[in-house]
Amino acid sequence: MADQLERTTNLLALLLETRVPLTLDDIVNQLSGQYPPGHAAMRGAFERDKGLLRDIGVPIETEVLGGTRAGQTAYRVDRRRYELRDLDLTEDERRALQVAVAAARTTEAEFGMFKLGGVADSSASITANLPQLELLPALREAIAVRAPVAFRYHAAPRELHPYALLLREGFWYVIGHDVGHNGVRTYRVDRIDGAIERGEPAGFERPANFDPRAVFPADPKELGGDDRSAFVRIDHSRATFAVRELGDESVVRRFDDGGVEVEVPCSNLDAFRSWLFGWGLHAEVVAPADVRDDLIRWLRSIASRS
Amino acid sequence: MTSRRGPRRSGDRLRRLLVMLPWLMERGEVPLAEMAARFELSEAELVGDLELAALCGLPPFIDEMIDVFIDEGVVYAGLPRLFTRPLRLTAPEGFALLSSARAAMQLPGADPDGSLARALDKLAAVLGDDGVVVDVPQPEATEELAAAVTDNARLRVRYWSASRDEATEREITPRSIFADRGNWYVIADDGRSGQSRTFRIDRFEQWERTGAIDPPQEGSSVTVPPSGDEWFADGDVPSVVLRLAPQAHWAAERYPLREERQEREERVESAEAGAVVVRMAVASEHWLRTLLLRLGPYAEVLEPAGWHDLAAEAARELLARYDVTDS
Repeated sequence: MADQLERTTNLLALLLETRVPLTLDDIVNQLSGQYPPGHAAMRGAFERDKGLLRDIGVPIETEVLGGTRAGQTAYRVDRRRYELRDLDLTEDERRALQVAVAAARTTEAEFGMFKLGGVADSSASITANLPQLELLPALREAIAVRAPVAFRYHAAPRELHPYALLLREGFWYVIGHDVGHNGVRTYRVDRIDGAIERGEPAGFERPANFDPRAVFPADPKELGGDDRSAFVRIDHSRATFAVRELGDESVVRRFDDGGVEVEVPCSNLDAFRSWLFGWGLHAEVVAPADVRDDLIRWLRSIASRS
Repeated sequence: MTSRRGPRRSGDRLRRLLVMLPWLMERGEVPLAEMAARFELSEAELVGDLELAALCGLPPFIDEMIDVFIDEGVVYAGLPRLFTRPLRLTAPEGFALLSSARAAMQLPGADPDGSLARALDKLAAVLGDDGVVVDVPQPEATEELAAAVTDNARLRVRYWSASRDEATEREITPRSIFADRGNWYVIADDGRSGQSRTFRIDRFEQWERTGAIDPPQEGSSVTVPPSGDEWFADGDVPSVVLRLAPQAHWAAERYPLREERQEREERVESAEAGAVVVRMAVASEHWLRTLLLRLGPYAEVLEPAGWHDLAAEAARELLARYDVTDS
């Protein structure tokens, strides 16, 4: 009996070269002596080999035969689907890609690069860490072929026509048309419960020039619908940062001591408070009164607890 | 790079074999050492895999065999046969390539019409229109820090330390730059401590070149940025145990939890509706004060006792600024 790696390599060669789909009996005959005797052991070993090939990405086609062999399952690998399509990368394009994927530092990126004729490069001095989530590749494929997806989110079932994946502030979001809500919705991918179910390709069309950044405001303080803003005084010691972050146009007043008063979106009060507390004792809400009162109530609820 | 322990699994070996064979067949002959280094195998592992491949082929296993052999430290491929092209990109490989290339397009110095952009177009053409958008806006200082990395230039900076709420002046030599969880960081030789330190780029208040150029970093030891939860791996960092109501659960998702107590104590569902108890690393007391203000009435410090009143104190200090007292 052969080593599993040897047997699986032979199996793959056979399925790639065969002109007609092969049944398990055909395969065992061809690879005589490589599978264990006894039907159950033989079937078990074949299933393991098949699973191993599928795990590494080999597309195995199956069909159920008719005629004299009615009901038997036959297998083959379609060479056109198996083989990597040539990207025609030039040497400098391959090199650029190699430097780019260096940051990912994952086995997947490394193998992808091997297949494209490059090596894994880890010498980049400027990199971005990308959170890796198991669902991302499947979501990307669903987007590429326009297949609807179904998943559970906050314990509720959702059906989504996925338009795009967006990485923002260290989180991956999937954005698309939510069938149940009949509108565009954004879901954080790491909060999806369990697996996703993929529907048939070409199940929807994506609006032309769809830009997820436009749907999903970069500044969480703007989430919430209305266009409210607050006026915040920032002390001298932190004024440079505030102006750099918010832009000169946000400055409504400059004080003699070097402090500034800035106008900041506050439609989403939670996000606004979070931002404000980042300045510690160096920032104070001046107006409007209800935002200032809300903040004071929030602080009192904390202060009164001890 | 990925490290392997224990015996190599058949799947990993076959996966690698299926990229090595077409690569070898295209070249005809390659020094064994070079091929082993390229595919990150020991020479013994590579010899083992190639010898096994030479036993494989098509029935009746006489002449339709994979034609590779090793002689005097050189690997030869004879007639190209069977696995002449690499296996297509899998979904995870395709995603890893696309997303990291999209991220790289946002890095300082990326050329929107350059070779990476062209490579990305070709990749997207093969994988299908992907809709992957990576949004990592750069703080103002990023470009100049990136240029300093390239030039080994020493900078004079004014840096605001959030953990101590104070600004310091120092000289640094930037060595590498990375983005993580939405923020940009620079790893630099720090003249003040004489050590390598990580700084958040949006906290530089001022930066300018001193004119000094430092020797390049030694050899291939390019500083590898920490990823994910390696950030708080340092066991010396103090920790806090918090009870978080559902409105405060985001904190448990946002910040790394302490690994060693993950199973037993962390994420133990409390009797209160939906509350969780977590142990978190604390970068500094100042950081914890800010976090507790953000979490407001929805979080409670369980341990250590010394921090029970931290949130209330912080809230009172801020209330004083509003000229109201806690009534």
